[in-house]
Order: sequence, then structure tokens, then C-alpha cells
Amino acid sequence: MIALKAVKKIYTDDGSSTVALNGVSFEIHKGEFVAIMGPSGSGKSTLLHILSFMDRPTSGSYTFFDKKIEEMSDTELAYVRNQEMGFVFQSFNLLGHASVYDNVEMPLLYSEVKVADRKKLVENAIAAVGLVDKTKIEASKLSGGQKQRVAIARALVNNPRVIFADEPTGNLDSQSGGQVMKIFEELHTAGHTIVLVTHETYTAGFANRMIHIKDGAVDSDQLIDKHPTHAGFIK
Amino acid sequence: MRLQDTIKTAAKSLLRSKTRTALTMLGIIIGIGSVILLMSIGQSAQDLIIGQVQGAGSNLVFVTPGSNKGSRFAAPAAVQGIIIKTLNKNDMIALEREASIDLVAPEVRGQARIIYGNNDQAVTFEGTMPDFFPIRNFTIAKGYAFTQSDVDSFNHVLVIGAKIAETLFGDFNPVGKTVRLKNITFTVIGVLDSKGVGPFGIDQDELVLMPVSVAQKQLVGIDYYNSLVIQANANYDIAFAQSRVVSVLRQNHHITNPDKDDFTVQTQADAIDLLSSITSVLKLFLAAIASISLLVGGIGIMNIMLVSVVERTKEIGLRKAVGATDRDVITQFLVEAAILTLFGGIIGIVFGALFTTIIYFVIINFSTIEWTFALPLSAIALATGVSVLIGLVFGIYPARQAARKSPIEALRYE
Repeated sequence: MIALKAVKKIYTDDGSSTVALNGVSFEIHKGEFVAIMGPSGSGKSTLLHILSFMDRPTSGSYTFFDKKIEEMSDTELAYVRNQEMGFVFQSFNLLGHASVYDNVEMPLLYSEVKVADRKKLVENAIAAVGLVDKTKIEASKLSGGQKQRVAIARALVNNPRVIFADEPTGNLDSQSGGQVMKIFEELHTAGHTIVLVTHETYTAGFANRMIHIKDGAVDSDQLIDKHPTHAGFIK
Repeated sequence: MRLQDTIKTAAKSLLRSKTRTALTMLGIIIGIGSVILLMSIGQSAQDLIIGQVQGAGSNLVFVTPGSNKGSRFAAPAAVQGIIIKTLNKNDMIALEREASIDLVAPEVRGQARIIYGNNDQAVTFEGTMPDFFPIRNFTIAKGYAFTQSDVDSFNHVLVIGAKIAETLFGDFNPVGKTVRLKNITFTVIGVLDSKGVGPFGIDQDELVLMPVSVAQKQLVGIDYYNSLVIQANANYDIAFAQSRVVSVLRQNHHITNPDKDDFTVQTQADAIDLLSSITSVLKLFLAAIASISLLVGGIGIMNIMLVSVVERTKEIGLRKAVGATDRDVITQFLVEAAILTLFGGIIGIVFGALFTTIIYFVIINFSTIEWTFALPLSAIALATGVSVLIGLVFGIYPARQAARKSPIEALRYE
């Protein structure tokens, strides 16, 4: 599965260094819905970047489904991000001028999926977030909640092993936020593994496991009693 | 990423900001347009100049005093202002006896004002013999050409160019009228057909022709010739005729050492060769000037692409986050640059061709220059190749800047 062992991340800038992660270790299993929580500056975003192969740890080891980050080139990391990961960002990061369809299709452009199969995958992903009627609309014309749903569809389109989300409800009102989290919940129910970073307890409440980060280290790691059938991992 | 997807993505992002794309292309359009235009003008100028030499007659051999040995491009003595008096009537008579030579005409040139009533004009006069007319393809529009007896009797008769006839006489027939040159009275006996600017920029329509005897004795005051113009016999190889001219002149001038030749014998082909070399340099020079605007256009593309890379930092970050490799990003920006320059190049070619056509029509309609239309394929090929090359060369730096960004930093960029 996913395993972090004594992961450290130290940023060096002009001679002074900042420790963002100070020996983080945990595992995440298939089918889990993990919320990583912590105050701002705790290192939770750095942790998500490392988990999602967008950054490398300074020391320690990270294994993602038998792939060790320390042994991989940047191109190999890009390949895994494309094939096995999905991303949802706080600020949506859609191409505003492009259509919903084009936005959702984007990861497939960099994959080996055949052109003929693409359309079906994109349409399925858009249907999964309930935006079929918006397929041809420019992304910039959507509401915040709809934008985040497009972003989720984009994260889903390549059928990833894990979906990573960074404060997915941070830019949304509570109603849209609730809708977005419902979609995550449905995805989880359908068997997707989800790792999200949030500082909102409400958002974290949808997860079945909560990892608290404080000062760059795991402060607590607990299962939430919401999904009694799920066998999560408790440190 | 498949190339089709890259091209589609690049095209979409270019179409998104149409004004900017158009302005970026403008630099290349102007650059390529100028290359096409200037190279075409260069080609037309070359065609014109060479056409004029060819139009001067056929199988021509020119004899000028002084040697240009040592360098093909050295000017003959006469052009350098050195006066050499060795070409004379004996040379002409000896040359006329050669089987490989059909006709020989001497030339004695000078400048003067031609005056008729209140009108006057500066002209180049040329003293020669009747054979000059067939040698140089000069035909008479009105009146007649002078004869050998005019030459022998020192008759003050003139054959004038079409333009002079118009300037001095307007709609009147100049034949039979009396004019003055250097205070000597002449009777106009003929008017030449219009022929336009001849080789070396002399307007043949502004030429005044007279018997060589009159020019020598009464206008210039010399007993030698400035040059000889010879028409070789078409049944002989022109190079053979040329070698015969050299031999005859050496014999007449008692020259045993070829290095001491006091004359230069050139054929029309030599002149065309020389002029081709000169005009090729001119063409190159024009292309070089145009290339500067192309370079500026290329830098413009690089500039806009760099701005675009900064503006699209988040997009680059996103693409990398969802799996684009450095190579994908480089390729996308390079393809964008290539599309800009390719289409800019095509539009530039169209504009260049359009302006070349306009210039052609303006020149042939509003001047007497016999301009020919030329749109060299080499210019089009060069322009297209260069514009795509510019896209790749000037696109590579911005593209690399884009690919170098780490996805997280790029996504965080505001």
C-alpha cells in the first residue's frame, strides 16, 4: 500500500533551514478515506505533496504500491501521478477558458489511453459528479462547487488508485462544500482510496481515519467510528 | 503525449488569446514578407540588368582600352579614369577582315547639352559607324540612320533617342530640324525606337548618335576610339572570335607578352557573368537586411512566449501534476512557437508576394523600366524554413523555462 518511514522534509533557503516534516511514519491501506489535519504550518500540505509524488522527502523512505520514490526519476514520478493518482486542489486549478470536457480529459492526454476510449472515460467521470449538462460549458462560467466537481471528475478520469485532495472545500461555501464531500463519500463507498488534507473538522468528519500533524510530526492517528466495517490501521 | 494532442492543445491555447497571437505573428509576417519582397526585388533587378546586356545585341564582343588582368572584377582602365589611346582605326580595319567577326563599330563618347530653340537637355553623345545600329539592335523609328558617306564627309548629322526627341520637339517631327551641340550645328536625320535603360544604367533613349569622324575631330578632339563593339559571326564559337580579337590586337599593338595587353576583350557572357556576380551580392545584401527584421520578429516571439510561460505558470504546474513530463511541456511550447512562425511565415509569404506584385504593376505602369516579375522559389523555401527554424530556436528558451518549473511551485504561483 502506501508506507511512509521516518520521512523528513527540510527546506533550505539562503543558509537557514526549516524543518517541515520531522520523521513521519504511517501506512495507508486500500479503500481507506484518510483526513490529514493540523493547524496551518504544521506540515500537512508538505506531507500531501510528498504522498502525491509532487515533492521528494529530504530523508526517510516512501513506498507507493511497491514503488520507492527515492529510486524513481522525475519522469517516472510523472508517469505514476498520471496513471495511479488523482488530484483535487483547494483553488480548483481548472483551465478557465477550456470546456468542462477538455478539463476532465487533460490527464488522459498524457496517458496511454486510446483516443477511442477517452470519450467514454471522460463522460463517465463527468456523470459521476453530476455535471453531464455542463459538459460543453467553459469552466470559468461554473460556480465554485461545480468547479470543484469538475476537478474531482478530472481526478477520477484515469481511474486512479488514490485520490489526493488538498483543502477541497476551502474555497467553497458550506452548502457546496457539503455536496463536494458527499461526492468524496460516494467515491469512497465505491472503493476509491482517498487522502485529503483539511483543517475543517466538518470535512474531516467524512473520512474514516484522521491523522493529526503537529510541528511536522504525527500527533495522533485514529479511526473514526463511522465505518465500523472498515479495517483501518491505527498506530 | 501524442503529437496530434500536442498540436490541438497548442492551437487551442493560441486561439484563446487571438490578439496576442496575431501581434506575435506580425513580427514574423513582416520579417518573412520583407525577405520575400527584397529577394524578389533583387531577382527582378538581376533579371533586368542581365536582360539589358542580352538586349544590347547578340554575339557581342566588347573591346575596351587597358587591361583588367589579375582580377575579374578589376575595372578596365577607361573606367578608372586612365586614358589609353591605343584603340584606333587600324584595329577596326584589321578586325573586320577576320572571318569569325561580322561587324565592328567604334565608339567615341562624350557629354554635352543638346539645344533646340529654348529647349535643351544634357545628353551622352556617341560617335560611331553605321554598323553600330545592327550590332546594338538599334532601329530607326523616324527618318534614317547615317551612312558611311556621312562618316567620310564629316556630315553634321544626328540620330537621337526617343526621349530626347520628345523633350526637345514634343509632338513635332524632329527629322530635318537643326540643333546645336557644343556650339556646332547638326541636322537631326533620324529618331531611334524606344529601348529603355541599357547595360550599365545608360538610358538608350537619351543617347545621341553621330558619325565617329565628327565626334573625334570636332567634339572630343581625339584620334583614337574609346571602345569597339564587335558582332561575332554566329557560325563561329564566340570564344574563338574573342581569341581572334585578342590575337589581332596584340599583333597590331606589337605586344608579345600577354601580361602587357593594353586592352580588354570581353564577351557578352563575360559581362553577364560579372553582372550576375555583382547582382548576386546585391541580392544577398537585400536578404541580409530582410533577415534583420526576421530576427527581430523571432525575438518578439521569444518575448511573448516568455510572458506566456509566466502567465501560464499555474497551467504548467497543473499539467505536470496530472502527469505531463518535462518533455511534454517543452514540446507543447515548441509546437506553439512553431505554429506561430509557420502560419506567420505563410501569411508573410502571401503578403510578400502581394507587395512584389504591386511593385511590379507600379513599375511597369508608371516608369519605362522593363521590370520583370520574379518570385523566386528559393525565397519562399528559405522564408518558410527560416521561420520554422526561428520558432524552434526562439521557442526553446521559453519552453525550457516552462518545463523547469516544479509542479508545486508552479501551482502555488499567483
